[in-house]
Amino acid sequence: MSYVYVENLVKKYGDLTAVDHISFTVEKGEIFGLLGPNGAGKSTTLNVITTLTDFNKGEVIINGLDIRKDKSQIKQIIGMVPQDIAIYNHLSAYENVKFFASLYGLRGSRLRKNVLEALEFVGLSDKIKEKPKNMSGGMRRRLNIACGIAHDPRLIVLDEPTVGVDTQSREHILNSIRQLRDRGATVIYTSHYMQEVEEICDRIAIIDKGKMIALGTERELVSMVTDVKSIYVETRIPAGFDREAFCKKLKLMPGVKAVKAEDAVIRVDVSIEQNGTERIIQEFLNHRLPIDNIKSEVPNLDTLFLTLTGRELR
Amino acid sequence: MLEIILKEVREFLRDKTNLFFFMVFPVIMVYLLGNLLSNYDNAEEAIGTLTVHYMIEASDPADVMAVESFVQNLTDQENIIFEKTGSLDLSMEMAGRDEIDAVVLFTGSPMEIHIYEGMNRIRNRSVNAMMNGFSQINKAVKVLAKNNPMALADAANTGDSGSGFIEQKDLGIKRTMVDYYSITMLTMLSFTSLMIGSICFIGERQDRTIRRLKIAPVSQVKLFLAKILGLMPQAIMQTTLMMVLNTVLFKARYASNLIDNLYLFFMFFLITFAVISIGAVYGLFVNINPMATIFPVIWIMMFLSGTYSKEIFIDGVTQLMPIYQVQEAAFDLALFGNYEKANTVVLVCAVTSIVMLVVGAAEFRRREER
Repeated sequence: MSYVYVENLVKKYGDLTAVDHISFTVEKGEIFGLLGPNGAGKSTTLNVITTLTDFNKGEVIINGLDIRKDKSQIKQIIGMVPQDIAIYNHLSAYENVKFFASLYGLRGSRLRKNVLEALEFVGLSDKIKEKPKNMSGGMRRRLNIACGIAHDPRLIVLDEPTVGVDTQSREHILNSIRQLRDRGATVIYTSHYMQEVEEICDRIAIIDKGKMIALGTERELVSMVTDVKSIYVETRIPAGFDREAFCKKLKLMPGVKAVKAEDAVIRVDVSIEQNGTERIIQEFLNHRLPIDNIKSEVPNLDTLFLTLTGRELR
Repeated sequence: MLEIILKEVREFLRDKTNLFFFMVFPVIMVYLLGNLLSNYDNAEEAIGTLTVHYMIEASDPADVMAVESFVQNLTDQENIIFEKTGSLDLSMEMAGRDEIDAVVLFTGSPMEIHIYEGMNRIRNRSVNAMMNGFSQINKAVKVLAKNNPMALADAANTGDSGSGFIEQKDLGIKRTMVDYYSITMLTMLSFTSLMIGSICFIGERQDRTIRRLKIAPVSQVKLFLAKILGLMPQAIMQTTLMMVLNTVLFKARYASNLIDNLYLFFMFFLITFAVISIGAVYGLFVNINPMATIFPVIWIMMFLSGTYSKEIFIDGVTQLMPIYQVQEAAFDLALFGNYEKANTVVLVCAVTSIVMLVVGAAEFRRREER
């Protein structure tokens, strides 16, 4: 059975349906991404999974335990990294992590060991006595993560953990998440940074207005809307060169779906599966056409979201 | 649970604003108010000779004797003239014309004392104070006569009324305004603890840490109680520090013996605990900074309760203020060793605390933090 099993989940706040019959599963050791714009229902879904919020309809089973019946056992295996930095400003980094880990029953040498490991894991082992107010935004974010993982949770829920951090800290956080997965943890990750989700998630669910609109691997999702990528080649066509004949020749190449010439730019739509970029470039060179610029446009989750909803993700 | 308590204490001790408002500020207030406002107690005018007309209509011979004995003692004072009047109306007219200072009527059984005041405010207060003293002593004699008539008879036979008969407590201690403010500021401190209580959950919400607490595998009731218990060391610290510093630095006097002082400390600790519990429940329901909501209300209540000046007393309003009632209980205990009001305060606070803890724990358990 899947590690996380969510079936027909419905959560309402008064008249507003924040989560509308969402179903998905997360396998053990998987990084599962929840993608969607602000207010899509991602955080509410996570709140339900982390036992913070009750729900109106549906079924949520984690590690074989029913969230309504076995709440306290489920709490024990979950680690939550909330979207907002949730730490105490008057406590040091060490004291913050120690406090939250102690709520999970860790004591004595094991508590100390776990706290130090968590701080080392997020790259803050040299800041254990530092108060959060003296830390940079990125360091505070990393401390936020350490507080959520120090008790060795088997299911880690990260709600937009990279909001407002510099590139270096973002890379550190993403690498840390991969390491957590490699250690055997199951990760549920939300973000509205499409690139991040594409980069680290094994499977992705896209949510909008409380509904699940797509679910699968990145490739599966993109192929839902198109299997073609566009290559734009900017060249200088010499006088007397038969552009029409050249375009026809390109179109006959394997995998090429369409060719269109506009001034100095020739656009070639090619099958993602066959990826004929190299052969197309070679064809230009064979005809002694200089390549001034080349650009490849691959459809991504943003394209998918735009196609499915008519709106951009952000 | 211990971890939560320790966390609360650490946070309190490291928050400089908290330390200032709940440890340093009240002590400074005692010093400033106690010294600056003590000038209010200095006489601005000489009272001179007090002339009072009196009439006895009391039916109990013991009361009549007591009044006559009291008047006889007063006639020995050069500046107090007590004259028996045959016409109450005439004397009241004289008081209205400022020819005498007051008219006093002793009437009924049990005896009531009616004072018809004259035109001078200061002299009126003097007469009131005198009659209040008489009334208290008369009551004490009556209680003794009822409970231990032999002792009263012995005292009457030997003429020994100096010691062991009716001994007023605290005689010999010169009370100052610092003493007054030591108690009113202790009251202030207890009531402003409402802030500590309310901020303990509002703060968790502001820090966004409340969701982390709620998803932890700890019983919600236990969590709520641990947070409140975590504030107890603060309540003990602030009350202790206030009493010790005022005593050591400003020579303030609370009660005259250790037991009364300990009970005073216990009473204020319990008040603080009850107030913190109320604040915590407030913080669960309301998410507005208590500085903007609770603080002004408490300051107005303290003002109306005479916390900042004993001159402020609005009849019909001041008595309704819980702060006033607490101050009265504290003064009664500190000055006269009277536990009656203090016991009532302790009982009310204990019941309030229990109710608030039950309500708060239930609400905290039920509440979803979005």
